[in-house]
Amino acid sequence: MPIPLRYHFRSAVTRWRSTAATVLGIALVVFVYVAMQAMAAGIAGVGANTGDPDNLLVTRRGATSEGTSQITLEQLRILQHAPEIAREPGGAPLLSADLAMVINIPRITGEGNANAMVRGVSPRGRALRPQVGLVEGRWFEPGMREVVVSRRMARRFAGMGIGQSFKAGGNTLRVTGHFDGGKSAFDSEIWMDVDETRSMFDRANFSSLLLRPRDAAAAKAFAERLDMDKRLKLRAVPETEYYTKQTGSADTFKKLGGFLAAMMSVGAVFAAMNTLFAAVAARTREVGTLRVLGFRRHAILAGFMIEGTLLAFAGGVVGCSFAAGLAHLLTATGFSFGTFSPQTFSESVFELKVTPVLITGGLLFSLVVGAIGSLLPALRAARIPVISALRSL
Amino acid sequence: MTLHGFVVRNALRNRRRMLLTMLSVGASMFLLVTLLVALRELTNPPTGIGASLRIAVPSKVSLATELPARQRPILEKLPGVRAVTPLTWFGGRLNGEESFNLPQFGIDARYFREVFAEAILSEADWTAWMASRTACIAGKDVAERYKLKVGDRIRIQGDIYPVDLELTLAAVYGIDGAAAADSIFFHHEYFDEAMGNPGTVGMWWVLAESAEVVPGLIDRINATFANSSAEVRAETERAFQLGFISMLANLKLLIGSICAVVVFTLGLVTASTMSMAIRERFRELSILKAVGFRRRDLFAFILAESFGLSLAGGMLGAGAAVGLYSSPLVTKFSKGFFPIFEVTPQIIGTALFVAATLGILASLMPALSVMRLSVVEGLRALD
Amino acid sequence: MSSEALVQVRGLRKVYRQGEIDVAALAGIDLDIHAGEFLALMGPSGSGKSTLLHLIAGIDRPSAGSCHVGGVDVATLGQSELAGWRNRNVGFIFQSFNLIPVLSALENVEMPLLLTGLSHARRRELATLALDLVGLGDRARHLPRQLSGGQEQRVAIARALVTDPALVVADEPTGNLDSHSAQEVLGILGALNRDAGRTIIMVTHDPKAAASATRIVHLEKGELSP
Repeated sequence: MPIPLRYHFRSAVTRWRSTAATVLGIALVVFVYVAMQAMAAGIAGVGANTGDPDNLLVTRRGATSEGTSQITLEQLRILQHAPEIAREPGGAPLLSADLAMVINIPRITGEGNANAMVRGVSPRGRALRPQVGLVEGRWFEPGMREVVVSRRMARRFAGMGIGQSFKAGGNTLRVTGHFDGGKSAFDSEIWMDVDETRSMFDRANFSSLLLRPRDAAAAKAFAERLDMDKRLKLRAVPETEYYTKQTGSADTFKKLGGFLAAMMSVGAVFAAMNTLFAAVAARTREVGTLRVLGFRRHAILAGFMIEGTLLAFAGGVVGCSFAAGLAHLLTATGFSFGTFSPQTFSESVFELKVTPVLITGGLLFSLVVGAIGSLLPALRAARIPVISALRSL
Repeated sequence: MTLHGFVVRNALRNRRRMLLTMLSVGASMFLLVTLLVALRELTNPPTGIGASLRIAVPSKVSLATELPARQRPILEKLPGVRAVTPLTWFGGRLNGEESFNLPQFGIDARYFREVFAEAILSEADWTAWMASRTACIAGKDVAERYKLKVGDRIRIQGDIYPVDLELTLAAVYGIDGAAAADSIFFHHEYFDEAMGNPGTVGMWWVLAESAEVVPGLIDRINATFANSSAEVRAETERAFQLGFISMLANLKLLIGSICAVVVFTLGLVTASTMSMAIRERFRELSILKAVGFRRRDLFAFILAESFGLSLAGGMLGAGAAVGLYSSPLVTKFSKGFFPIFEVTPQIIGTALFVAATLGILASLMPALSVMRLSVVEGLRALD
Repeated sequence: MSSEALVQVRGLRKVYRQGEIDVAALAGIDLDIHAGEFLALMGPSGSGKSTLLHLIAGIDRPSAGSCHVGGVDVATLGQSELAGWRNRNVGFIFQSFNLIPVLSALENVEMPLLLTGLSHARRRELATLALDLVGLGDRARHLPRQLSGGQEQRVAIARALVTDPALVVADEPTGNLDSHSAQEVLGILGALNRDAGRTIIMVTHDPKAAASATRIVHLEKGELSP
């Protein structure tokens, strides 16, 4: 590359005002892009991070979510004796029958209501989900209308402080403790005793069964046996697999992010072009001189394209840094986002997840914007006739 | 030489810059308009004609919880009630299409036209629907999107409910007003049978006799079922729709923030372009001063040019949005999430206002510095 | 002085199109320039002297005729070849110095060498030598804006010399200088010609500048004056 990089770098720095504006403009476009993708990643990440791979989740065959799945007492009675299920020292099966209910409760901000997920769990439901840990207060007492709520949910909904109460339907629930779901779907849940849930909402049935098979072979055997059972019409999948399918509105955010980035980058490309055209015009005499000295057209083309692309790349770096910085800041202050998840029909809590892949994507995006924006001005520069070295402006 | 003529001639001198400035303003305003329309559609559901008379009665627990069918006769006997119909969201899949984009409802067809007065359904069509248990009607937009004709068999797979529905399309309905005709309605009785008569419904829709009785009626309905095993939360249709929207609270905030970012970025970029353009013309501006134009005139020149350019760009962008969104492109692309995407005059006005204001603000600083420029300095400012 | 002229111009014509009219800037020039000459091209404005210079230096193309420099007819070279030819064979000095504003004096002088295959160290060495030659060795790190007009032009001379070209070509080198700096620059050019035997072609309208040359040629309306 004959024309030294420092020529382009220093020229850009000399016109620092327009350089800074272009860099900042592209930085903002990249920031929006990466931030939206990070939201999508955060939403999808929750699904990917939920459950214990050793557990099996049993739901109604054909149900796409626990909320629409039903498991009767009869079915529970049959299944709880399955030989494939691991047992506690005392002989009791490691199994939890749950009831997932959606309730509509007021937000802490006072701006209306939102749906939230209540999970009634059986005694072993806590042990089967080791990623859920109590962080404050105490666990609920069986037989009481007490709940433990995710720490994140407590910050979003009214009446969820420890010792406070909120109403679901006509029933009052008292919050006794907060738990941390370990960045999983459980972070969007409210837990209580399953029998209390059933009586409160007048439900005879459960939604799902969570169980721990003895070993991998037992898991396989159990799932296969259940598949072939025409009477029960249930199916068992590894718990992690079940939640991975609940991508929520990740796709929507991805598409939205892509659309926004594309639109904003159109404006950014035109603006970058404008800046570079002005730069080329101001350096007509220089470019002419370079040609007199013997530098070829393609060297000039390449040089200006590199100048423009590096400018955009700088913008990309700044934008990605903004996004990563924001994500870090939000995580550190415990702030989380919430969005409506169509699968659970309730609020799903998530964090911004800025991954190396995302950052690479953002940087590549800035390079593309830079390349497109600098092409025409670079071509213009390459076509400056040699004689321009001798003409004044 | 008029100010107007000079400004125009000047702007045209560097055609490329003028074009690029207009295009970048245009692109940003197009985006702004798009975002504002989306925001408006999300926060402002269209009001049907009969909306003011309709009362939504879902379970107090949540919309996902069912209500017992035995509540119906109680509701019907309440004073002020003209008609009651169940409405159950089936939430199944048609041709693999997610239900969010294709609502399917079980309803009591006898009261359909009364309760949903804005539906356009001829007597003959309604009779055809009533004639068969498995008949259904589909909205005009749905029929277009999925190329459905009267007589077609429609199979809806159950996702929420463990049954599939086998329906025949009896008629297509339209909507009188701004709302979209985007749903499929089938007979609730057929659904009940398929489910083995569980005796539940998703929610009730109640038609009040007049607008005056509505508030009292809402209170009465809530009180009637209070402390029962199936409490309800009756509210006006408007409140019900807004409740949905409040679930999307974060989305509004998100869109609002992005609008702010877009406007800020555009302002930044425009300001930079303007300064560049003006600095390049220091020399000739000084000559103008030497020739006798007053500072105020120069100030006006610069502001006028920037204002005009930005406004033109704004009109370009807003115009493109109006043109593009007059076709059902967004509805198709968003798979029905935005059944309507209307660019209102207010939104156009807002975009133009933003563009023009940015144009003025962006050139303010450079214009002021030009005003302070002495003739000699300017003439010396060659390269 | 060799018998073969270094520069042989035969029937050189240059026609410009201005709107709808053809303007003949050069109307058939025949000229020989020998190695070691310091030639001044003089004439009123519009006489074609600059045009002739541009054609010889290979930064413009003639409409007709030939121009052999060191045996090569530059009129027949392609754009890219011409660029390389210029880099190796011509050192150009402009009226407005034309230094790259963001590069230091030394970096400016080094520029032509970037197109050769020389190593970084060797380039620095040659550039420093050239800068020393014009007496600005201590200003190597200065930017053009930190130099006076005369100093800038001296840097430009160093740049013109650094590839050891066959021809040094100067287009009104003292036009933008005060009389003291002009004297300095002309002195250097004269010394380069006398002591180093460099071939210099200079366009000027100033008779005092022309006095430094060994030969003066006049142009008027695109033709050589007898």
